[in-house]
Amino acid sequence: MSNESYGLIATFDTSPAIYKAAKKVNEAGYTKFDIYTPFPVHGIEYAMGEKRSFLGGFSLIGGISGFAIGMAIVAFMNFDYPLIIGGKPIFGPIFPFPIFYELTILCAAFGTFFGMFIMNNLPRHNHPVFEYKDFGKSSDDKFMIVIETSDPEFDEGKTKTFLEEIGGTEVTLIDAPEKD
Amino acid sequence: MSSSAEAVNTAALSSEGKTEKNWSMISLIVGLVGLGVAILGLVLGYGEEGTSRAWTGYLIGFAFWISILVGALMFIMISYAFDAGWSIIIRRQLEHLLSALPWMALIFTPLILAPWVMGNPGILWKWMNPEYVLSSGITVGEDPIFLWKEPWLNMPFMTTRTYFYFGVFIAFATILRRLSFGMDKDGDPSRYVKARYTSGVGIILVGLCASFAAFDWFMSLEFHWFSTMYGVWFFAAAMRATFAFTIILCFFLASRGYLKGIYNQAHRYDLGCLSLAFTVFWAYISFSQMFLIYQASIPEETFWYSIRLFGKDGSYNDWWYVSMSLIFLHFFVPFLFLLFYSTKISIPKLVGVSVWILLFHLLDIYYNILPAKGSQKADGTYDVVPFTIQIWDIAALIGIGGIVVWAFINSSKKTKPIPIKDPRILDSIHHHE
Repeated sequence: MSNESYGLIATFDTSPAIYKAAKKVNEAGYTKFDIYTPFPVHGIEYAMGEKRSFLGGFSLIGGISGFAIGMAIVAFMNFDYPLIIGGKPIFGPIFPFPIFYELTILCAAFGTFFGMFIMNNLPRHNHPVFEYKDFGKSSDDKFMIVIETSDPEFDEGKTKTFLEEIGGTEVTLIDAPEKD
Repeated sequence: MSSSAEAVNTAALSSEGKTEKNWSMISLIVGLVGLGVAILGLVLGYGEEGTSRAWTGYLIGFAFWISILVGALMFIMISYAFDAGWSIIIRRQLEHLLSALPWMALIFTPLILAPWVMGNPGILWKWMNPEYVLSSGITVGEDPIFLWKEPWLNMPFMTTRTYFYFGVFIAFATILRRLSFGMDKDGDPSRYVKARYTSGVGIILVGLCASFAAFDWFMSLEFHWFSTMYGVWFFAAAMRATFAFTIILCFFLASRGYLKGIYNQAHRYDLGCLSLAFTVFWAYISFSQMFLIYQASIPEETFWYSIRLFGKDGSYNDWWYVSMSLIFLHFFVPFLFLLFYSTKISIPKLVGVSVWILLFHLLDIYYNILPAKGSQKADGTYDVVPFTIQIWDIAALIGIGGIVVWAFINSSKKTKPIPIKDPRILDSIHHHE
């Protein structure tokens, strides 16, 4: 059963309600759950117990490797074909600095951009929540919360009662997408 | 009944006034004592030949504080221009700081007016004395570079310009202060619109004046040298110093003053982000200035850096260590430290790095102002002013700082702690990340 369905979805009517619900779901020990709202609800990531994103780490890794690539390019080219220009040394930290610097920025931007793709599991063509027929309402005036079946705390009956207790309506089990 | 109520009121007012008055009096006394010592230095340096160290020290102390004030003025106008809501409670504190600008004009007056009556007018800016012997062995009056620059660098024009810069700074500070303080009383939102128009004009005018002030007051100390980046360097350094100072100021106001419970983590985080941004901008500008001069390698420009790196025999001089500490301690350390989110939200870390930035900002001021070639000696060489920290610098720094803090406290007593009737004030109070 759990292999076939994605999770339980519950609908809420207001943003304070979803905020409180997120807090309760987090306190109940669920880790694999997500929230869908028509507009950004500030501070909900703290209510969900989300940690700060690692995305900055990708930027840092990208930046440092860009700096190193810049240095490697200059070192390889200048030692391979030594040419003194303007009395500058063959290799130094100052005259080729724009190359180090530009590549640092370029690779930091790449690191951030592709890091965001990796962390969001992008690109993907479909998402199981689209199987829920009323999911479109979550981009209009409804707030939805999904607890995935892969969560270790998940138990269909208990989780359903729990979602109803915290004020969710229309608690539905989302089936896995049909395979062609 | 009414008399007892009045008595209670007066008692409350006087006891409230007393604690604040103490700080105001303390800072005024510190300021006057410091300025007294610094002016004693000016008097003692009166008869010196060439450039007097005490006079340069006074200029260093002045430069440190004027950079913070000009940065504060720019930050207020930039906030208006961007219609920024989050910074409104911080803007009010900077408006109080700006009340020190007229005093700064007064404090600068001895430097610019004394050369008119002195036997050695080149006591600070050596180009003011045509008899001064340059490192090349000729006097200023015979120097072709000076003669070419004379239409700009002459005492009447320099004095006029100096007061014009102060006039522009004070005019915009006064207009913006009046509009903001007036809104406290009537809440008329058209004042906000007027402040935005004023800021649009002011960013251009104050920006130009700050650039040219940096050229005249600091760059012309070594008048052979020229750099179009210098004004931008001053702006970048000033903004950095302002953010560091603002973070420390708001820390004190939030921990034991009237901003308790208003100034929150999100304000701190944003000030930290701006601090990081201007750390990078300062490094970008400072490096670009050095980089272009290094690449072009023209002696009339490179000497400015070579006297800051090498002694007569080509070995490193004491300024070399200052240069390196600017790169590594004024840029890399704060940059890498401020990159972390936890630094920008933690009070001790953010205040610590701000104190660090202010200290190295002072070193940056020393680096830009102090080193200068001396006159030619008998053997054809010349000396470069070494890196020393003297009692006169410290006295000027503390003295002018005392006056700035005194002006801040006096101004902050007259208005509400935050602009309560600003149309966007709730944005600022409820500001979140």
